[in-house]
Amino acid sequence: MAKRIVLDLDLCCGCRSCEAACKAAHKGEARIRHGDIAGEAYLPLACKHCKDPLCIAACPVDAIKRDDETGLVTRSSFICIGCQSCAYACPFGVIDAPLVRHVSQKCDLCNDREDGPRCVAACSSGALKFLGDEEIKKHQIGMRMVSKDAFFRRKAWT
Amino acid sequence: MKKVDPTFTTVKKTVCPFCSFGCELGVVFDDFGIRGVEYIKDGSSEGRLCPRGSAAALYLNHPLRLSMPIKNGKTLDWTKLGKDLKNVFDKPRKVAVTFDRNLTIEDYQSIISFCKATGVENIASTYFEPEALLREFFGKPFSVDEINKARMVLVVGDPFNQTPMFSKTLIEWKLSNRKNRLVVVDTMKTPTATFASDFLKCRVDTEPLLLLALAQENIEGLDVPGVTGVAASTIADISKGLHKDKDALIFVCLSFAHTYDSMLLVEGLKRLSAYTGKKIIPFVEFPGFEGNQRFGAIIEKIKKKKIKYLVNFGELFPFYYPQLGKILRRVSIFATAPIKHKDHTVLPVALNLEKQGTILTNRGEQALSGDINPASGARMVNEILDLVKQTKIGDGAVALPEVKVDLAERAKKIVARIKTPKKKKSLRLLGEKIAYSFLGLFGEEKLKINPLDAEALGIKPTDTVSLKSKHGEADFRIRLTTDVDPGIAAIAAETPEVKGLFEYEVADSMVNFVPTSVEIWRKG
Repeated sequence: MAKRIVLDLDLCCGCRSCEAACKAAHKGEARIRHGDIAGEAYLPLACKHCKDPLCIAACPVDAIKRDDETGLVTRSSFICIGCQSCAYACPFGVIDAPLVRHVSQKCDLCNDREDGPRCVAACSSGALKFLGDEEIKKHQIGMRMVSKDAFFRRKAWT
Repeated sequence: MKKVDPTFTTVKKTVCPFCSFGCELGVVFDDFGIRGVEYIKDGSSEGRLCPRGSAAALYLNHPLRLSMPIKNGKTLDWTKLGKDLKNVFDKPRKVAVTFDRNLTIEDYQSIISFCKATGVENIASTYFEPEALLREFFGKPFSVDEINKARMVLVVGDPFNQTPMFSKTLIEWKLSNRKNRLVVVDTMKTPTATFASDFLKCRVDTEPLLLLALAQENIEGLDVPGVTGVAASTIADISKGLHKDKDALIFVCLSFAHTYDSMLLVEGLKRLSAYTGKKIIPFVEFPGFEGNQRFGAIIEKIKKKKIKYLVNFGELFPFYYPQLGKILRRVSIFATAPIKHKDHTVLPVALNLEKQGTILTNRGEQALSGDINPASGARMVNEILDLVKQTKIGDGAVALPEVKVDLAERAKKIVARIKTPKKKKSLRLLGEKIAYSFLGLFGEEKLKINPLDAEALGIKPTDTVSLKSKHGEADFRIRLTTDVDPGIAAIAAETPEVKGLFEYEVADSMVNFVPTSVEIWRKG
């Protein structure tokens, strides 16, 4: 079953452990991005591995492919020509526009690691989760967010 | 799906050395070197790590990792370096051996035994953060379960940024019961302060005075509420509360502020512990070691030309304190460091994650079981010492001469500093610790200033500013926030460019950083 990285906004405290873990695993370049919300909070932005990804449609050289079984959308660094079409096409803005080693940076859900993505493992507050479609529906993730401040969000939830 | 073949990679369980909390982590390595870190689910960190632990592999495989000794930027052979070191230790009275962090207890004992065998008399710690003094509070191990019994917790500083893995426990404790009272003492609004029951926002540099007041120490002629900005009734109430709750705890997390009188701060903590009968639990970057004298005494000897050579073991000094450069230029420096530096003679050294040995953490002494071949060219401390003389590890004990802290005298100094009229348009610089600001690996940090100051200085939110102190100048992007009071500028003090901006003074042979006046203006 296809699994995705999901962020529980109620728990994220903006510590950026996820970014550190991703950066360490991908030769110093984080593939999980951060939204800086008016300087008040950092929220991680991970690739959604869409069912019908626009990045695949935009890629002129078919460097991005989707595995129907696992739902994983991967980019081949051998085929990628670094045109950044995927970065512009992504509706969530999670593909980093600046090129690294002349290819775009795209989350691969740490497919070299058996226990799932490193960002999820690193998350110090348990806000990032690696869940299947059915689990995501049950979770009501992010539905309780009432404040911009991480700690007050948790307070509201408790 | 591609998977790593487990037959080629090995995971070695060890302890994270990037703060004193002692989280367990796994180092993943193969024949070609360290590949990354792994999260130990049944370990003390419950399978999670903070940004520093997660980025450990980045530091171990840093692009500037040193593989050969260098002298003033040029590579040097280990044999040649061994000869140079032998020549230095032929004149032991002219040598000072110093150390900072990234050392195991065994490394420290080897250094002390080596000093005794070679006749070196000047031994000091160059780890200027107050943690070198806070080591004495590490006596009793701390268990996370202790916090669940407490109804009141006093936190001096910000554990969210200092020890993120503890911060989670603290938040959960606070939210688990409405009656749990969290008191935070700090000079700016931090993530920990946002969920405090009582936030005692004191003026920069006045934390030690507030701690003494909480310990009911009366210093003659000192108006504590007037100086600290915290009401007398609040101080009395919290002091009483700490005394009353038999399970109350006091946490200290004060790295990198670069403002307060460390000796007075530790004296304040000691007296608070004695008055309330409560345990002090310090969370630090690294519990420093003691020499037989303080570094201020070494500085005096360098000025008097009694010391010609300085040999430092660790990873930061002297590169991280450029403001001391003027004095240190008078001596030849040999320093171990994992990363390239263009000045002095630099020796590549292994990091604690690559070593076997013991480190002191809040959980007591924990064994490092890295036992990994360090990065190419890096040597263990013992191997470096063996270039000069082979010694056996002894008990390695040296003691610092006791200094009687004159509370009234030191308090007077703080009050005088606060009352000194500021220059027009100048701000006070405050260092802060940011969880993910790890040795500059995560890019530049923004300078925090209050919107009122920004308006007065004609600075807009998107501007880059130049900041000038007595010791240097640097450019920063800014972040306007009311977390800092008007008149204060705060920046993550992680890199030499920032650390070098702070002013220092030597009092009772102790190097202290003091509140630094800076001028800020919009760049270009």
